[in-house]
Amino acid sequence: MKRPMTRAWTAGALLRALATIVAFALIVVPILIVVVAAFSPNDYFQFPPPRLSIRWFVEFFGLVNMRNAFLLSVELALASATIATILGTLAALFLARRRGAVNALLQSLFLAPLVFPTIILGVALLLLYKTIGMPVFAGLLLAHCVVGMPYGFRTVLASAQALDPALEEAGQSLGAGPLRTLLLVTLPLIWPGVLAGWLFAFIVSFGELNTALFLTGPGITTLPIEIFSYLQFQGSQLVIAAASSVQIALIVILVAVIERVVGIARITRAR
Amino acid sequence: MKSTWAWFLLAPPLALALVFFVVPVVYLFWVSLHAASTSELYGAALTLRNYTDVLGDSFYLTIVRRTLGVAAVILGLCLVIGYPVAYFVALLPPRRRMLAILLLLFPLMVSNVVRAYGWVALLERRGVVNTALRDLHLTDAPLELLYTPSAVVVALMTILLPYMVISIANTLAALDRRYEEAAQALGAGPVRTFLHVTLPLSTPGVASGALLVFLLTLSAYVTITLLGGPRSKLLVSLIYDSVTAFQWPRAAALAFVLLALALGFTALILALLRPGRVQGSGR
Repeated sequence: MKRPMTRAWTAGALLRALATIVAFALIVVPILIVVVAAFSPNDYFQFPPPRLSIRWFVEFFGLVNMRNAFLLSVELALASATIATILGTLAALFLARRRGAVNALLQSLFLAPLVFPTIILGVALLLLYKTIGMPVFAGLLLAHCVVGMPYGFRTVLASAQALDPALEEAGQSLGAGPLRTLLLVTLPLIWPGVLAGWLFAFIVSFGELNTALFLTGPGITTLPIEIFSYLQFQGSQLVIAAASSVQIALIVILVAVIERVVGIARITRAR
Repeated sequence: MKSTWAWFLLAPPLALALVFFVVPVVYLFWVSLHAASTSELYGAALTLRNYTDVLGDSFYLTIVRRTLGVAAVILGLCLVIGYPVAYFVALLPPRRRMLAILLLLFPLMVSNVVRAYGWVALLERRGVVNTALRDLHLTDAPLELLYTPSAVVVALMTILLPYMVISIANTLAALDRRYEEAAQALGAGPVRTFLHVTLPLSTPGVASGALLVFLLTLSAYVTITLLGGPRSKLLVSLIYDSVTAFQWPRAAALAFVLLALALGFTALILALLRPGRVQGSGR
């Protein structure tokens, strides 16, 4: 049946197109502004910039605090994404074929950090760490693992549930033990899910604010927190635009990797 | 044999979730029930005073009301702008729809501090907006756009908008178009079809989008601080301030007030929109 092109239909379509243009502008422009500002040649941002310069990137890597924060963020994201994905994968393999109230509860527990207000988790962990005397880096790493684990868990769970159980049974009936079946049959089959989970956990850790806000210490600061404190105490200067662009650039590279390795479809379904 | 193998899978992730998620939150609640102490993290005496102080103090209540007000405005704007955008995205052909959703997902991966800074660069005294207004001779002196509740609303709304759009678009894209065609065949106009068929069927997407936007608004300390400044504090700012002042029981109680708001809103959304009722009859 053909839709009648009444006035209300056209008005509705116009409204949707208009809202889409406005929304995309509001979402994308602040990010684009940051990237353009980072290439400013002057002390203050002019739009359009008279010419492009990389002086603020040079400045960014020249600041010891910024450079260290960037390196710490990368280390933290690499380590926490790896731990979170391994743990999330184990949990997903355990729960993939189980039903019942206890398993439903476990699944909610593993997904809970996605919706739990992370600011509360930050305060709670800080208090726990103060009580037991946790070292700063270890504490930060564990917090990032808690925040990242649901991403690994969710993507692997989807892959593992889509897996044909006959394949694992075939492996076992051919004499492979549980560990050999896991390594030689299950893992290769769910690998795209594991990889997507790792990349998500990395991205989340690399941008994490609400727990890191409380858990970073003197000399041990992540890039987002360093950007935040610089903005608060030194004010809005263009070196922040450069720092932000470095953050954005890394995300762009990772998204490209995800698209290459596992495809866009998996990203759009993963949230 | 099989059960020990399964236990080996479950134990490590369960340990992390229990020791570094459940235990600290329970401990935080325990601390919120204690008096303050100058020498220890918290005093020995059990008390409800941290809660009664917060709920009986007009300063705290003003901040709670402001928090709910700001969250409501952000949520309303996200719905009004997000729904038509989601509709537009859902009607795109699959390949383009994927691209649109990727374009919406990408900003969510960029750290919120970077996105908040983008708004600072736009709104500050020598920012893009003020410079443009001056160059167009619309203003003589720069407008004070930053450090206002409106700045917080605009920035947070745009930061969280993709969650709302993606949630609703995914539901709308999965919706069986024959329901709408049936309504039209039975004589309903486009407005009636939308109000009585499309909108009710999209409530699961609206509910999950609304929950995400509301819960993330409550926690958005960095955005609120950078754009609101010291005069537009919200509940989350008070938690941070209590922590930096080493008032642990007070910080803990405020954290649980925030959690209560989050849970209350979740219950409200589930009761009002009843997203569960659609799934059974959906496809």
